[in-house]
Amino acid sequence: MRNRPPGTRRSLSAWIFACLLLAAAVASAQEYQQALPGYQFQFPRDDFNHENYQTEWWYYTGNLRAPDGHRFGFELTFFRQGVSRAPGSDPWYVHDVWMAHLALSDIGAGRFHHQERLNRAGPGLAGVDAATGTIWNGNWQATITPRQEDLRGIGRNFAFSLKLLPAKPPVIQGQNGVSQKAAGLGHASHYYSRTRLLTSGSIEVAGRSYQVEGTSWMDHEFFTGSMAPNESGWDWLSVQFDDGAELMLYRMRRKDGSIDPYSSGSYVDAQGRSRFLSARDFVMTPAGDTWTSPATKAAYPLRWHVSVPLLHLAFEVTTPLRAQEMTGRFGPSYWEGAIDIAGTHDGSPTHGVGYLEMTGYAEPGRAVVPR
Amino acid sequence: MSGLVLFYRLILRPLFRQPGRALLILFAIALGDAAVVAIALAGNAAAGSFHSSIETLAGKNDFEVTAAGGVPQDLVARLSKLPYPLQVSPRIEDRAMVADTRQSVPLIGIDMIGAANTANLPVLGASEVSDAIRHINDPDAIWVTRGLAQAIGDRLPLLIEDHTRTYTVRGILPDSTQVSGDAVVMDIGAAQIATGKQGRVDRILIRTPAEGGFAAWESRLREVLPAGVMLNAQGAETAANRRMLAAFRWNLRILSYIALIVGAFLIYSALSVSVVRRRPEIGTIRALGTSRNAVLLAFLAEAAAFGMLGSLLALPLGRALATGAVRMLSTTVNALYVSSRPGPLSLTAGSVVLALVVGVAVSCLSALAPAREASLVPPTEAMARGRRDYEVRVERKRDALAALGLALCGAVAAQAPEIGGKPILGYLSALLFVASAALLTPLVVHFAMEAGSGSLRRLAGMEGLLASRSLGGSLRRTSVLVAALATAVAMMTSVGIMVGSFRETVLTWMQTELPADLYLRPASWAGGDQHPTISPQIADRIARVPGVAAVRRMRAYDIQYQGLPATLAAVQANPPTVPENLRFLSTAQDADPMRQLPSGNFAVVSEPFANKHHVKTGMSLALPLGVQKVTFRVLGVFYDYGDEAGLILVDWNILQRYLPNPAPSNLAVYLAPGANLAETRVAIQKAIGNNNVLAFSNREIRRQGMRVFDQTFAITWALEAISILVAVGGIAGSLVSIIIDRRREFGVLRFLGATGAQIRRLILFEAGLIGLLASAVGLGLGVVLSLVLVFVINKQSFGWTIQFHWPVAVLAWSMGIVYVATILAGLYPARLAVRMNPIEVIHEE
Repeated sequence: MRNRPPGTRRSLSAWIFACLLLAAAVASAQEYQQALPGYQFQFPRDDFNHENYQTEWWYYTGNLRAPDGHRFGFELTFFRQGVSRAPGSDPWYVHDVWMAHLALSDIGAGRFHHQERLNRAGPGLAGVDAATGTIWNGNWQATITPRQEDLRGIGRNFAFSLKLLPAKPPVIQGQNGVSQKAAGLGHASHYYSRTRLLTSGSIEVAGRSYQVEGTSWMDHEFFTGSMAPNESGWDWLSVQFDDGAELMLYRMRRKDGSIDPYSSGSYVDAQGRSRFLSARDFVMTPAGDTWTSPATKAAYPLRWHVSVPLLHLAFEVTTPLRAQEMTGRFGPSYWEGAIDIAGTHDGSPTHGVGYLEMTGYAEPGRAVVPR
Repeated sequence: MSGLVLFYRLILRPLFRQPGRALLILFAIALGDAAVVAIALAGNAAAGSFHSSIETLAGKNDFEVTAAGGVPQDLVARLSKLPYPLQVSPRIEDRAMVADTRQSVPLIGIDMIGAANTANLPVLGASEVSDAIRHINDPDAIWVTRGLAQAIGDRLPLLIEDHTRTYTVRGILPDSTQVSGDAVVMDIGAAQIATGKQGRVDRILIRTPAEGGFAAWESRLREVLPAGVMLNAQGAETAANRRMLAAFRWNLRILSYIALIVGAFLIYSALSVSVVRRRPEIGTIRALGTSRNAVLLAFLAEAAAFGMLGSLLALPLGRALATGAVRMLSTTVNALYVSSRPGPLSLTAGSVVLALVVGVAVSCLSALAPAREASLVPPTEAMARGRRDYEVRVERKRDALAALGLALCGAVAAQAPEIGGKPILGYLSALLFVASAALLTPLVVHFAMEAGSGSLRRLAGMEGLLASRSLGGSLRRTSVLVAALATAVAMMTSVGIMVGSFRETVLTWMQTELPADLYLRPASWAGGDQHPTISPQIADRIARVPGVAAVRRMRAYDIQYQGLPATLAAVQANPPTVPENLRFLSTAQDADPMRQLPSGNFAVVSEPFANKHHVKTGMSLALPLGVQKVTFRVLGVFYDYGDEAGLILVDWNILQRYLPNPAPSNLAVYLAPGANLAETRVAIQKAIGNNNVLAFSNREIRRQGMRVFDQTFAITWALEAISILVAVGGIAGSLVSIIIDRRREFGVLRFLGATGAQIRRLILFEAGLIGLLASAVGLGLGVVLSLVLVFVINKQSFGWTIQFHWPVAVLAWSMGIVYVATILAGLYPARLAVRMNPIEVIHEE
C-alpha cells in the first residue's frame, strides 16, 4: 500500500484544505506531526481525534432500502483542519476549522439533497469527544462505540437517523501503519476503513418517513501534508459484494492525462482478510455515458469498467441516479453517489452496491479556507 | 348664475383686490400646518424610523434569546445541537467609540465561521468568510463600514468600555440596508475580549424553518432554555424601544397641534372679517337669485382652496423646520431613551396627505361659522348704503353657561386614568379648558372694556377711550383675536410652568441624589441605555488614593420587564457616615429601605417604573437574571427623574450572586473630611492612568444634567415660539383688515381734527389692549393647563411627580415679549391708517 498518497481518498482534503496549508497553516504545519511508518493503530483510541495531525476526516457512505423497495444513498462526513496549535483556553479561539457534508440520494424519487456546514469548536459547536464517543458538527453527529455506531443528519429538508453494526473488524489501509503518498518520510497518511456496517434506521424526506436497511462504509484518515501539484483529481470507489466481500480502488489522474502509479486499492474477503492491490493489479476505465452537471458544467463519466485479473474479478459500474453532484460554497464540487455493480467473479455472476467519487472534473470553487 | 361666475364675483375678485387678506390666511394655515408636518417628519427621523443599531448584520431571523447580564455561551452549543434544522447565530452587541472623532458606533461580534452557514446573511459571502478565517485568531481584526475606514489595513483606535486599543481594518463591509449608520464588526471571540464579556453572548438569533408555526417552535425552544433566559421574536428589544418612544412621539405630536389650533383661530378671524367686508357682494349675488347654500358652498370652497394652498406651502416650510427639530429630538431620544441615529428626513406620501388633510380640514372647520353667517345675509340689508358693520349680539348668559359646562367637563376629564398608556383624556381636558376660555373671552373683553373705559380715558385721553370702545363695540372680531393670542399665551404659560416646575424638581432632586464628591464613568458612554464598564482594578486603585474616604460602585444592566425596557442597577451601600440620598414616596412601615437592601433579595424601584408596571411597596418582582428568574421584594418607591424607562435598585453583593461580574459601570467617590477636591481629583486621574474614565464633580454632573434637561425641552420651546409667531402674525394681519374696514371711521376722525399721531396712538392702543387682554386670559388659562400638564399628562405619560413651581422670571419675560410683539404688530396697520386720504375715504361712502 505504499503508493497511496494521502488526501487522494477525498476531494476536500487536497483541494480545500490544501489551500489552507498555503496560507494560515503553512508556517504552523511544522508544528503538526507527520504520518510515519510503524504506526500502531489502537481502538477505540484511533476512532477519535488526532489533533497533532493537521487534517482528519470521518467519512460515512451507504446504500439503504425501505421495505417497499424505495432506495436511498447517504453521505455524512466530518472534516477537521488544524489552523493553529497555539495554546489558548478561550473556547472561541480557533484551533481547528470543522466542516461537514451531508447528502441524501433519494433514488426512489430521483432526487439528490445535500448540504455543507462550517464551524469552529467554539463552546461546543463542533468537535470530537472520546469520552462519549461523539464526533459532531452542530446537530450532525456520529457516536462510535465498539459494537455500534449511530449517525444523525438533519438537513433543511431531509433527515436521517441510522444504527450501524460493524460486521468485520477495521481494515488498516496501506502498509506498516501508513498509506504512503510519495517518496520520502511523512508523505503519507494513517488510514483505516470499516468496510461493512450493517445499517438500519429511519429517513425523513419529502414529508414521508421510511424505515430502511442496508450496508454502510466508513473511512477515517489523518495526516499532515498535501496533494502533488501535478495531479488533477481522482476516481475512487467502494464496493460491497452480495457474496460478503468488499473492494476499494482509486486512480489518481495527472494533469497530462496519465494515471499516477500511486493509484491502489484493497480487497476484503467475506472472512475479513484484506489484500493490498497496487496500480498494476487493476484496471478502472470510463465506459462512455457521461453526465454533464447543469450547475458546474462538469462532465462526469457515469459508467465504468473495472477488472482485477489477480482476483478473476470483472464488473461494470452504473448508477441508479445520475445527478449526485455535491456543489459546495466552501469547497470545490465533486460527484459522490450510490452505484450498482454487475459482473463475474471466478466465472460466476456477481452483484453489489457501492459508492463512487469523482473529483477534479469541475472548476475548483472558491475555498472558504484561506489560500 | 353659474357657479364659476359666483366664485369669481364672491371670492376671486375681492381676493385680487386685497391680496393681504389672502396672504394672512395662507400664513396662518401654512405655519400651523408646517409645525404639524415638521414634528411628524422630525419624529419619524429621530424616533420613528428607530431601528436599533444592534440589528447590524443580524439578517432575518425568527427568535432571539437574551438574558440580563448576557446569555451563557454553552447555550449556543445546546441550541445548535437540537435535532431541528435551525440557524443559530450568537452575537456580542456593544458600542465602541472611535477615539479620534468621539463617534459612538455599534460594535457587533459575530461567529465569522458559523456565519458562513447562514443563508440569510448575504453580506458575508464566501470571500468574506475566507478573509475572516485568515484573521480569525487576531483579537485586533475588525471589519467596518465605509464611513470608518478608507482601506483595508487601516488602523483604527477604538475606545471600548474603559480602554482604548488600536484595531486593524481587515475588511470593509459592503453598503447594506442592514446597517443603518456606521458599525464595527469583529469575530465573536475578539469581541468578547474587547468588551470583557468572556463566557457570555448578548443575543442568540435563531431562524426556524418556515413550516411548523411560531408558537410550536417557541415551545420547543423554550423547553431547553433556563427560566431566566428570555425567548422572544427577533427585534423584541427594538420593538420595546419603539413602544417606549411611541408615547414620547405622541405627546410631541399633540404639542404640534397647538400651533394648528392657534392657526385655526386666525383662519376663523380672517374669514369672519372677509365675510363682513363682502356683504355688498353677497347682497348683490343673493338679489340675483343665488341660493343660500351656493353662498355657503362658495365660502367653504374658498376655505378649502386656502387650506390646500396653505398646506402645499406648509410642506417645504415644515421640512425646513424639521431639519432643526430633528437635531433637538435626537438629543432627547439619546439622552432619555436609547442611543440611535436620526434617520434621513423624507417627505413621504404620508406626510403630504397629513399636511393636506390637516390643512384643509382645519380651514374648512374654521370657515364653517363665517360661511354660515354669510349665507344668512339678507339681500336687501346687505345692499343698503351707509350700512354699519354687521354685528352679532354676544349672548353673554348662554356663553357663560357653556363655558362653565366645558370647564366642568375638563375638570372631570382630568381625573380620568390614562388610556393605553396615553393621557388621552388629559389632553381632552386641556382642549375643553381651551374651548371654555375661548367662549369666555368675549365676556372678558366686554366687561373689561366697560369697566375700564373710564380709567383708560383718564390714563390715555381720548385715544384710550376710543380704543376701548372700538374693541368693546366689535366684540366678536376682537374676542377671536384675543382668544387666539390668549390660547398661544396659555400654551406658552402652561408649558413654561410645567417645564419650570420640572426643572426645579430635578434640580432639588439632583442636590439630594448626588451626595458624593466625584462621579466616574467610562468615556465611551454615549447614551441613556448604555452601561460601559470600568475595570474592577481601577475602582480598587481609586479607593487607595489618599484623600478618598470611600468608593461606591454601581453596575447597571438593561433588562426587559414585562416587554418594556428597564434599568437594573446594583449599588454598594453608602458609607455609614453619608446620609441616605434617595427620597422615597412610599416605603414599608418604619423601615429604611436602603439599609435593608443588603440583607436579602430586596429591591427599591423608581417612580416611573412603579407607575408603568403598577408596582407597589411590598410586592414581589420576578427579575430575569442570567439563566435564573429571581424574586425580589419591593421595599420602596423612590423619586427619580434620570431614567424614563424606570430603575430597579438592588444591593451590589446580592446581584453578584446571580450575575457575578465585578466591573462597575459607575463609581461614586467620597472624599475624606478635609481632603482637597481638585488635588484628589488629579490624584484619581493619575491612578486611572488614562482618559478613558471620566471624573465629574458633583457640581459638574448637576450642570450636565441640567444641560441635558434643557436640550430635551428645546423642542417644546421651539413649538411654543411657532404658536406665538402664528398668533402675533395673525394679529398684525387682522389689524390690517380692521383698519381697512374702518377707514370711514378714521376719515371722520381726521375730519373732526384728529392728527395722524393720534390715529397711530389709537391703533397702537388697540393692539396693546388686545395684547393685555390676551395675556390676562392666557395667563389664567395657562395656569389651569399647567395643572393638567403637571399632574395629569406628565404623570400619565412619564410617571414623574413634579413639584409645582412658579417660574416667575420666565413668565414675566414671555409676557413682556408677547405684549411688545403685539404692539409691534400694530405698527404697520397704524402707518396704513395714517396714510389714508380722509377725503377719498369719506367720498367712498
